[in-house]
Amino acid sequence: METAVFRLEGVTKRYGDLVALDNATLSAGENEYISFLGPSGSGKTTLLRVIAGFEQPEQGRVYFQGRDITNTPAHERGIGFVFQNFALFPHLTVIQNIGFGLTHGKHGLSAAEIDRRSREMIDLVGLSGMEDRGVDQISGGQRQRVALARTLTMQPKLVLLDEPLGALDANLRGRMRNELRAIRERLGVTFVHVTGSENEALAMGDRVVVLDRGRIIQSGTSDQIYDTPASPDVAHFLNRFNMFDGTLSGNQFSGVFGTAPVSRASRADRDVYAIRYDRMRVLPVSATPDGPAVKATFIAAEYLGSSIMNFFEASDGHVIEMEHHLSLGAPDSYEPRQDYLLTWNPEQAIVFGREAA
Amino acid sequence: MSDTLTIEKRQNATTRLLLAPGIIWMCLFLVAPILMIVYVSFWTQTTFTISPEPTLASWKQFFGSATYTGSLWTTIRIWLIVLTTTFLVGYPTALFVGLLIKSKTLSTILLVICVIPFWTSFLIRVLAWRPMLGKEGAVNIVLMKLGIIREPIEVLLFTELSVIIGMTQIYCVFMVGPIAFMLARIDRNIIEAARDLGAGFGRIFWKIIFPLSLPGVVVGSIFVSVMVLGEFATSGALSGRKVNLLGNIIVTQVGSLKWAMASVVGVILTVVIGIVIAGFLRIVDLKREL
Amino acid sequence: MESRILKPLLGFYVGLFVLFLYGPFVVLTIISFQQGPEGGPQFPIIEWSTYWYRHIFGLTPPSRIAPLPVGEALMRSLILAFMTMVVSTVLGVMSAQAFRRKFKGSTVVFYLIVLGMMVPGVLTGLGTSLLANNVIGIERHWYTTAFATHVAYTFPFAFLVMLAILNRFDASVEEAAWSLGVDPWTTFRKVTFPLIFPGVLSAMLFAFTLSLDEFPRTLFASGRDQTLPLAIYGTFSVEIHPNIFAFGVLTTLFSFALLSVYGILMAMSVRRAKKAAMQEDIA
Repeated sequence: METAVFRLEGVTKRYGDLVALDNATLSAGENEYISFLGPSGSGKTTLLRVIAGFEQPEQGRVYFQGRDITNTPAHERGIGFVFQNFALFPHLTVIQNIGFGLTHGKHGLSAAEIDRRSREMIDLVGLSGMEDRGVDQISGGQRQRVALARTLTMQPKLVLLDEPLGALDANLRGRMRNELRAIRERLGVTFVHVTGSENEALAMGDRVVVLDRGRIIQSGTSDQIYDTPASPDVAHFLNRFNMFDGTLSGNQFSGVFGTAPVSRASRADRDVYAIRYDRMRVLPVSATPDGPAVKATFIAAEYLGSSIMNFFEASDGHVIEMEHHLSLGAPDSYEPRQDYLLTWNPEQAIVFGREAA
Repeated sequence: MSDTLTIEKRQNATTRLLLAPGIIWMCLFLVAPILMIVYVSFWTQTTFTISPEPTLASWKQFFGSATYTGSLWTTIRIWLIVLTTTFLVGYPTALFVGLLIKSKTLSTILLVICVIPFWTSFLIRVLAWRPMLGKEGAVNIVLMKLGIIREPIEVLLFTELSVIIGMTQIYCVFMVGPIAFMLARIDRNIIEAARDLGAGFGRIFWKIIFPLSLPGVVVGSIFVSVMVLGEFATSGALSGRKVNLLGNIIVTQVGSLKWAMASVVGVILTVVIGIVIAGFLRIVDLKREL
Repeated sequence: MESRILKPLLGFYVGLFVLFLYGPFVVLTIISFQQGPEGGPQFPIIEWSTYWYRHIFGLTPPSRIAPLPVGEALMRSLILAFMTMVVSTVLGVMSAQAFRRKFKGSTVVFYLIVLGMMVPGVLTGLGTSLLANNVIGIERHWYTTAFATHVAYTFPFAFLVMLAILNRFDASVEEAAWSLGVDPWTTFRKVTFPLIFPGVLSAMLFAFTLSLDEFPRTLFASGRDQTLPLAIYGTFSVEIHPNIFAFGVLTTLFSFALLSVYGILMAMSVRRAKKAAMQEDIA
């Protein structure tokens, strides 16, 4: 616990009747990259704003570097914050933006020292030559760098990023992702990154914290979350699983696909059978499967770059997705409006149930 | 210990600090003076001074005199007439500026044109109506040149009519502004949709446009009412002292150092305005509209 | 269809409306060029002349018509308007800033402030002079009691202007400054204030012009020394001469000059904001 950079204990925040944060407890170590993942309205941004000191929790404490900062105002916390809309100071130049905290904070640095550190940071984020431009005269990606540089000049131990890539186009987002990682690793700072995109969270975070309706519902490494989602909600939100309703009894799960053997199941408030998109196999409708199988009609395929997503529709209207990684060989092609049999190895399924131990 | 002080409490302290000067100023120089008027209306008036011995003498005098009660009714009559004329004159203009003109620039230009007269001193604008309305005034000259009338109209100046014309011109812009503002906020798609459903302009106007502009009408009415009810300069300058509003009574009473009587009239004026504003605010929540 | 008839019809009506609005001013301007000193404030124009303009500046030979007592009155009015502008704008910005947070009793405070523009000047003026005369026992002056009523009158306008501006203000730039370790007061000076400055200018303009032309409050609450509107009011009771119209034309021109300065300042600070907003749209 002593190595924790920040720690939340039972933080609760309400807006009127709406519970934005419900008893959130969490801690983060030094030099970590944490992603907060959740749908909009899950409280992830509120959590970030509570840590930054922009919002006050009704209950619970916030600790930063071992100190209780629950009642410390934002400007005395020394925690960096990067906004989704960047929130650059529109009336200042690039270098004035970056040097803003050093110039107007309580540091007592000389003008020369401020200038030196600002320029150093401009080099780090690759904005040399742009120092004297207005922030309205640079591109979206460059503004993102200014926002980051402005925060990093203050040498915070913790930087909070609120959907920092949300305002960028897809191409730029990919590049900035790598840059964010690289910069963080170079400076050894803890980053907490809020995102609504499961891909971004899984790709960037050393650790992913999943939120839903103001609650932290799972916290773990990308692999842990990916392989063993803690609840049907997490699995659903990761958007990588076909989910079937049914009944779990003993070692059997019965659903639309028949009955499948279950080796282990996690406890949940309902019975759900989940199987990853890339674990699905497609057979001709005449084949005899050696496991659970669903008959479904092929609708369409979508090319995703490194893989192909095939969409099937079961007889009950449920859409089943099958992902084919192109690294595993050329994809099969399927006939639209034709029936196929979808099957999988039941060992790879993730099962939730009320009866589970 | 700053740590025991929550941020919430510190922010509340800041809010109080920011508000305190304004609240104190308004209490000292707005609320206290009005309370003072109420208080002094019960003081005893001698020839040139007043003393705080409580008496109802001034109140009795007010309600016992036809001149004073008459000025109350005159004030209410002029207010109702001017409210109606400013609305009738202002609404079509607002409709044109706020709704019918599609170009933002043109409607801004028209609004600026409406505001420009305010750069002339209020009192000079009032005085300017004299050479307009007089027997040899501009209106009579133009009408005679056009052959509409043969003899100059004499009732134009130094009558109740001239007061109404003057006030309508001076205050109608306060009606145009808020109404045009509300009309400009109407989503044009609603009107298009209604038109597609076959509604004629009359129907669209009464069912959609007018109800949506109502908050503007109320805000404009509050502006006009407050200003007309408290008037005394226009009525003094254009009626030749024939129209005596409550405001005129206050001025003459103060002029003859009858502070107690002036206060009685002040209280009555306050009550009238209070009722009028409260009535309008029942229709529209001002704070939300702003 | 109906707009083909309605629009030209209303357009014509608006033309008449503008004529109604400007008629008196046109007549006033014409008569200001009346011959003097015999020509009165009415038609017909005996002879075009600039006599009454020269009369204002004391450039005409002495006649039975006394020059307008405007010199000192104008100075007083300008000083009063300036003082009012500064205090009202400061109060307006402070109160509007406080209203950005929800707080208990905000409705009461809101109406207390807005009351200042709702209560007729006769009443505030009367009440203030009663208070000064009979309770505190001080003499009334334009720079004390009248000044107090002017602020009570113009502060609500400044407050409402700032409220509208701050309602649209994106608070994330302030939060950004705090997260950089800059305290709220410095943040206000270095971030908020520069960004709301166009609004502050509007509030100042409102307060200045309202105070400059304020008359009923000043009539009661100021002492012997007249402000400009009082000097003009003084001519009501006596005979009026075209010099007052000439003076009206001059003050209007002065207002236009003031407005132009405001317009230029506004355009300069808005251009930057607009450019930023446009870039925001492109990005």
